[in-house]
Amino acid sequence: MATPWTFARLTRLLRCCLPAGLAAGVIGLAAGCATDSYKNVPLTGNPLTDAPVAIEKGPARDRVLWEYRAGLAALREGNYELAKHYLDDAVTRLSNLYGPDASAKQARGQFSAEAKKTFLGEPYERVMAFYYRGILYWHDGEPDNARACFRTGEIMDSDTAERKYAGDYVLLDYLDGYITSRLGGDGADAIKRALDTAKLWKPPAFTNKANVMVFLDYGRGPEKFATGQYGEELRFRGGHSPARSAQVKVAGALGKAVPYDDILFQATTRGGRVMDHVLANKAVFKTTTSAVGDVAIVSGAILASQRNTQVAGLATLGVGIISKIVSATTTPAADTRTWENLPLYISFVALELPPGPQTLTVEFLDAANAPLPGATKTVHLTVPADSRDTVIYVSDQSKTPQTL
Amino acid sequence: MKPFLLAATTIAATSLFSGCSSTGVKNPSGTPVTEMKADERGFVTGTGVESQDLVAVTDKMARSILSLPAIATAATPPRIVLEPVQNDTRFPISKDIFLTRLRTQLNSKALGKVVFLAREHMTALEKEREMKRAGQVTSTTDPSVQEFKGADYFLTGKLQGMTTRTKAGTSDYVLYSFQLINPRTSEIVWEDVAEIKKQGLEDAVYR
Repeated sequence: MATPWTFARLTRLLRCCLPAGLAAGVIGLAAGCATDSYKNVPLTGNPLTDAPVAIEKGPARDRVLWEYRAGLAALREGNYELAKHYLDDAVTRLSNLYGPDASAKQARGQFSAEAKKTFLGEPYERVMAFYYRGILYWHDGEPDNARACFRTGEIMDSDTAERKYAGDYVLLDYLDGYITSRLGGDGADAIKRALDTAKLWKPPAFTNKANVMVFLDYGRGPEKFATGQYGEELRFRGGHSPARSAQVKVAGALGKAVPYDDILFQATTRGGRVMDHVLANKAVFKTTTSAVGDVAIVSGAILASQRNTQVAGLATLGVGIISKIVSATTTPAADTRTWENLPLYISFVALELPPGPQTLTVEFLDAANAPLPGATKTVHLTVPADSRDTVIYVSDQSKTPQTL
Repeated sequence: MKPFLLAATTIAATSLFSGCSSTGVKNPSGTPVTEMKADERGFVTGTGVESQDLVAVTDKMARSILSLPAIATAATPPRIVLEPVQNDTRFPISKDIFLTRLRTQLNSKALGKVVFLAREHMTALEKEREMKRAGQVTSTTDPSVQEFKGADYFLTGKLQGMTTRTKAGTSDYVLYSFQLINPRTSEIVWEDVAEIKKQGLEDAVYR
C-alpha cells in the first residue's frame, strides 16, 4: 500500500521538484539565448575598437547602438568619413521604423524583455543621431540636407506627453532658420521658435556672412536605469558637466559657446512611453501569476493531503507550479541600453574668417568662467577662398590637436 | 516521486524555452535579396522620399516637358542646363538623382528634341580646351573658336515638405516642383508639380 500523501511529504516534493524544474528551464533559457549575448565579443571600452566587433559578432539588435557610439567617437577623433559611415546606416534604419517589426513584437510579449527589440534609442538619442548626421552633411557642403536632418530631429522630439516639451530643441530650430536664411529663404519663424523655447540661453543673430561653423558639446549625457518592483520603469540620471560654457578663439575672433540645449532635460521631459504601459501590464501579470501560484500551491498541497481530494489537490498543485513558472519567466524589465557617450550640453558658434590656414582653440570654462585645466582643444584648418562653409565639431572629449 | 519530478522539470523547461524561442517572429532567418522594380513599393519603407517617388515624379515631369510647345515644335533643339534641386523637406536626399533621371528620361524619349549642356564638367572641359589651345593635345577643329554653347533654358526643381506627428503616427507630405526658366528673360516657361503624402505608425515599443 502506497504511503499516504501528507503535507510534509508534499512540501518535500515541492522543494525537490520546483528548483530542479526551474534549473532546467534556466539552463534551457541560457542555451537558447546564447547567440544573443556578448559572450564571445571581447570589448575594450573604446567604441571605435568595439563597434566593428560587436556589429559583426554581437546581437544584431544592438547594431544601431554601436553605430551611434562609434559615429560620435569617430567625430571626436576628427574622422568625419568614418562618422558618416556609422551614422548613415543608423539614420537610414531610424527612417524606416514604421509598420510591423518582428523584434518589436517579441519585445512586447510577456516572456521577452524589452531589450530584445532592435535598438533605435529613446527620442533624445534619435534626435542626436540626426543632429550629428546634419553636422556631417553641412561639413560636406550640403546645408539643405543638414537642415533636413535638424528638422527630422525636431520631429523625433514632437510626441512628448506634454505639448510644451514637444520639439523644443533650441539649436535645431535655430539651425533650421539660420540655414534657411543663408540659402535665401525666410528662416524667421524657425528662429523665433528657437528664441521662444530657449530656457538656458538664447542664440545670438549670427551673420549670414559667417563661413566657419563650429559645433560644440560638453559634459556627460544621461544614462538610463530601471526602477519598480521588476525594473519595469525606465528612468534617467546623470548629466554631469564640469564645463558650463566654452569659448572659441581664432584669428583674433572670439565666440562664446553657451549651452543651448540640455540633453538630460530632453530625456526627462519626454514623458511616459506607450511601452511603459506594456511593461506595467507585464509587471501586473507577473505579480498576479505569482500570487495565483502561491495560492494554488498551498491549496493544492492541503487538498492533496486528504485522501478524498487527492486528485483535485494534485491538479491544483500543478496549476500553481505552472503559474509560478509563468510568473518567473515574465520579463517586464525596461530596456536600459544607452548611447552613453552623448554629451550633456550642445552649442554652436558661427564665425566669419578670412581664407587661408587658421588655428582654432576651444577652451571649456567652469561655472566661474575659468578655463578647465587640460581641456583646451586645438584644430588646424584651412578656410577655403570660395563660398563653401567650413564646418567643425569640437567636444570636451575630442582628440587634440586635430588637422582638418 | 520520480514521475512528478520529471513532469515538473518538463513543464518548467518547456515554459522557459517558449519564452526564449522565436515563436511569433516573422522571417527568423531573414529575407533573401529580392529584385524589385524601381517604381514598386517594397517591404522596407518609410515616409520619406523613395525610389518609387523618384520614378513617378520624373516620369510625370518628362512627359510634361515634352508636351510643351516650346520644346515639341522648336525648330532647333533647345539647350538645357540643369541647376541643382533645392531640398526644403525634412528628408536628406541625394538631390542630383532627380535631375539625372529627368535628364536620362528626356534624352531617351525626346529623340533629339532637347540637348543638355554638361555644365557640371566645365572645369574639365575648360582644361581640355586650354590644352588644345596650347597645342598640348590634338584638335579636330580650331580650338580658339568659342564652341561652348549657352543655355536656352535652366531646368531646376524644389522639394518642399510638411510633417505632422501625433500619437496616431507620422504624416509626411512632399511637394515636388520643377521649372524651366528662360535665362535671357527670366520667364518661367514651364512648371509642374507632383505631390506625395505618406503616413505611418511605428510599433508601440518605439513610442
